[in-house]
Amino acid sequence: MVASIKNLTVRYGTFTALDGFSIDIPEGCVGLLGPNGAGKTTLIKTILGFLTPASGSGTVLGCDIARQGRTIRQRVGLMPEQDCYMPGMSAVMYVAYVGELAGMPSEQALRRAHEVLEYCGLGEARYRNVETFSTGMKQRVKLAQALVHGPRLLLLDEPTNGLDPAGREEMLELVRSISHDKQVNVLVSSHLLPDVERVCDQVIVIVGGKLRACGLIDDLKKIEGRPVDVELKEPKESFAWAIERVGGRVLSFSGSVYRVQAPGKSDEVTRLVFQAAREAGVQVRSYLAAERSLEEAFMEALNG
Amino acid sequence: MIEFVAASRWYGQVIGLNDVTCSIGPGVTALLGMNGAGKTTMMRLITGQLKPQTGSVRVLGLRPFANPDVYRKVGYCPDIDNFYEHMTGRKFVYMLARMAGFNHLEAMERTERMLEMVGMAERADKKIAGYSKGMRQRIKLAQAMLHDPDVILLDEPLNGLDPIGRREFINLLARLAEQGKSIVVSSHILFEVEQMTRSILLLHRGRLLATGDLRVIRELIDTHPHRIRIDTPMPREAGQRIASLPYVISLRFDPTGRALEVETRNPDQFYDRVASMVLEDGLTIEGLSSPDNNLESVFCYLVGG
Amino acid sequence: MAETGPIADLSYRGYEGLLESPTRRWWVISKMMLRLAVRKWGLYVLTFMSGWYYFVMMIVMFVQEQIVANSMGRDAAMIRRLANMDWTAQFLHGFSYGQIWFFLIALTVGAGAIANDNKAYALLSYLSKPCTKTDYLVGKWVGVFLVLCAAALIPGLFFYAYGLMNWREYGFVSQDPWLLPKFVLLVPLASAFQASLILGVSSLFRQGMHAGLAYAGVYLVTNFFTVIMSFAYFLSQGGRPGRRPLDTGVFSPEPFTFCSIDGVQIGLAKVVLHTAGGIPFMPREVNRMAQPVVPIPSLWLIPIAAAVAALFIWLAWTKIRAVEVVR
Repeated sequence: MVASIKNLTVRYGTFTALDGFSIDIPEGCVGLLGPNGAGKTTLIKTILGFLTPASGSGTVLGCDIARQGRTIRQRVGLMPEQDCYMPGMSAVMYVAYVGELAGMPSEQALRRAHEVLEYCGLGEARYRNVETFSTGMKQRVKLAQALVHGPRLLLLDEPTNGLDPAGREEMLELVRSISHDKQVNVLVSSHLLPDVERVCDQVIVIVGGKLRACGLIDDLKKIEGRPVDVELKEPKESFAWAIERVGGRVLSFSGSVYRVQAPGKSDEVTRLVFQAAREAGVQVRSYLAAERSLEEAFMEALNG
Repeated sequence: MIEFVAASRWYGQVIGLNDVTCSIGPGVTALLGMNGAGKTTMMRLITGQLKPQTGSVRVLGLRPFANPDVYRKVGYCPDIDNFYEHMTGRKFVYMLARMAGFNHLEAMERTERMLEMVGMAERADKKIAGYSKGMRQRIKLAQAMLHDPDVILLDEPLNGLDPIGRREFINLLARLAEQGKSIVVSSHILFEVEQMTRSILLLHRGRLLATGDLRVIRELIDTHPHRIRIDTPMPREAGQRIASLPYVISLRFDPTGRALEVETRNPDQFYDRVASMVLEDGLTIEGLSSPDNNLESVFCYLVGG
Repeated sequence: MAETGPIADLSYRGYEGLLESPTRRWWVISKMMLRLAVRKWGLYVLTFMSGWYYFVMMIVMFVQEQIVANSMGRDAAMIRRLANMDWTAQFLHGFSYGQIWFFLIALTVGAGAIANDNKAYALLSYLSKPCTKTDYLVGKWVGVFLVLCAAALIPGLFFYAYGLMNWREYGFVSQDPWLLPKFVLLVPLASAFQASLILGVSSLFRQGMHAGLAYAGVYLVTNFFTVIMSFAYFLSQGGRPGRRPLDTGVFSPEPFTFCSIDGVQIGLAKVVLHTAGGIPFMPREVNRMAQPVVPIPSLWLIPIAAAVAALFIWLAWTKIRAVEVVR
């Protein structure tokens, strides 16, 4: 367990942001999902040891959130959503400074800043002032300053904010490689569900200050009965009839994608589908086990 | 509805748009490109904030620069975040409605209708200074549509919205498109753009790189033949049969040992062959898909190195 | 270190090294401020300029000594002048005439200290490490404080060393044996005051330039006020000898001559150095005959100045907040 929270209640004045919230955040890469105002940011701030809860307790990496906030922040790295840098400093100077703030001796901080900036993909640009950077580079510097002190838990808030497609790709690759190859625990808070799907293995869904769902993404996406999604070259009604003739059912369709439930083992189902397609005179272009998208699973968790 | 003919615009030495000729009709069109490719310049030319230095830009037949007739028909939801922070959302939208020329009653009615449409009706009475990003985004959209424009330009409209908000927004845009409006959306989040439309306009360093239907464009990218992935418990056997096909360019076995990837210039024939392999030759397939038949791959192929 | 083959793995690795316990972060912040300040060559120019009185004084003394030497000991008036120099007053004047330069130094170092951080949400970086608001504020304050101290001390100590070597015969050391400790005590007090004020003002703005302009505004307006008050005092003491004093009734302009950023520091100097000053560049006897000089203010100045400084620090404390995401 990376963090363990029990019955946490956090209030801002009369507004209750988190209500009797309990969760065990597992190791690995976890996505944090929830509508705006549901309490995600409050949870992150509580994990960082910023807020004193009205009731409840928790530990992060073995430290009590109410009393050992500073120790927690020494072991946790935060990549905030907003722009955050220090004017007048080059990227290397900034990251080394942040490392020193975390407690590293100054030579180690400088050495490590270079290492981390290299990993985040900033080459010669690291000697320039951060104000002159493009959005993508600023995001990388933010990630670097979160990693410089070698945290065991990394908190990322909208890591792909403002990045163009190539930049998003690279950032997601970075996050994935850190969490899967380097065994750093990562908690990603994002509204972009496919990003979360790509990078994380598990998700936590928070709605209205309470925990709504928590588990492996694969589990959340499974559908009962294992139907298949079949995409045809063009929509054809006769395909649906052909499926029904062989004992299957078309659960739903949109455009030329049909969700089919048919009896039998998986290879029998495959033959049935291709047979039906041949009878209908249409080409099968895609055949995949039907999964709920993370978005659908999220919506269900919201409404359930 | 929007016509560019050899339009260019530069800022000193920096090129914004370079000799762009295209036309945008009704429905949703996606405006794509890396940062700095010219998307904002293009939007500014359409909204009439800039004048093209060569060529011409016409919106609904008229030149948009400093032309109030065009302004009445165009709505712009920009990327930047400048509001009167001390006003409430409702007051802000109302004020803009009045500035657009509507009398008090009409402005009130339109304000309420827009706020309802963007889902801010209950929350619009707080000061804008306290709004989250998603709420600001909704107010921006509301003000862009107040005067019922025929052309709506949106620059990163989903920024800051949570997944529900995003879904609602995409549905809203689809409804507007059905009414015959021309909606131009610029975004970096390609998988969402894909859900909105198949019609794209790709800019690269100021020049128009691709325009039209996504599928058609994909077919035409010669340098990257179609990749088709077959998940099967017996990849090597399937591979043997496939290797003998003349239109298959390359075969790659997946390291997991349960899939293979085929590159071919003739996907049509290949898919037919797959069907006969399943039905006649008894090939067991667990999955069939085309990993690069999406907008992200097309973008990467066209723009990336 | 694990055995590695000929090709090294340069990808990310964790940091297993030393991490100091999370206390005394403020010193890291101060060090960074000093590092940034040291790179600004303008500060060196300003420090040099702030000692202009001392340099002029050195030249005046040198010229007077030359006159004495040329007259071969027969110019009794000049010899008397030299013997009657009020050295403590010289330090007071040096400090007073350096005020405008200290003000500029405070602007250079302090105006952007918190304001620029506000613009770039830098506080998020600070607070996401084991750093608290206290660390941040103390660190910034100590940084500005040390720069101001250095700027005031360096010319002053230089002048003292020069005097120690050259003017002993004129009573440089014997006149007031406590001169050096008093000066060294004065500088931190005054710098603390100015550092608190500039930081308080800096925290109110999101751009260093705006904060600087605001501080300059306060400085100039209060200065203008004290100039008027000084003139009023001048008149109330009769102005030139022989004139009748202006009757100001109950209102005494004297304490108000210290009501400015400059004024407080000069007042502190007068209290700590324990001298009213007199005429600049001139020896003591000239003072006795000449225009009225504002006397040493009461000791109450010190707690009042401390209270004002504390007020501004409290202002900075309340204004510093990490960016909150509102629902």
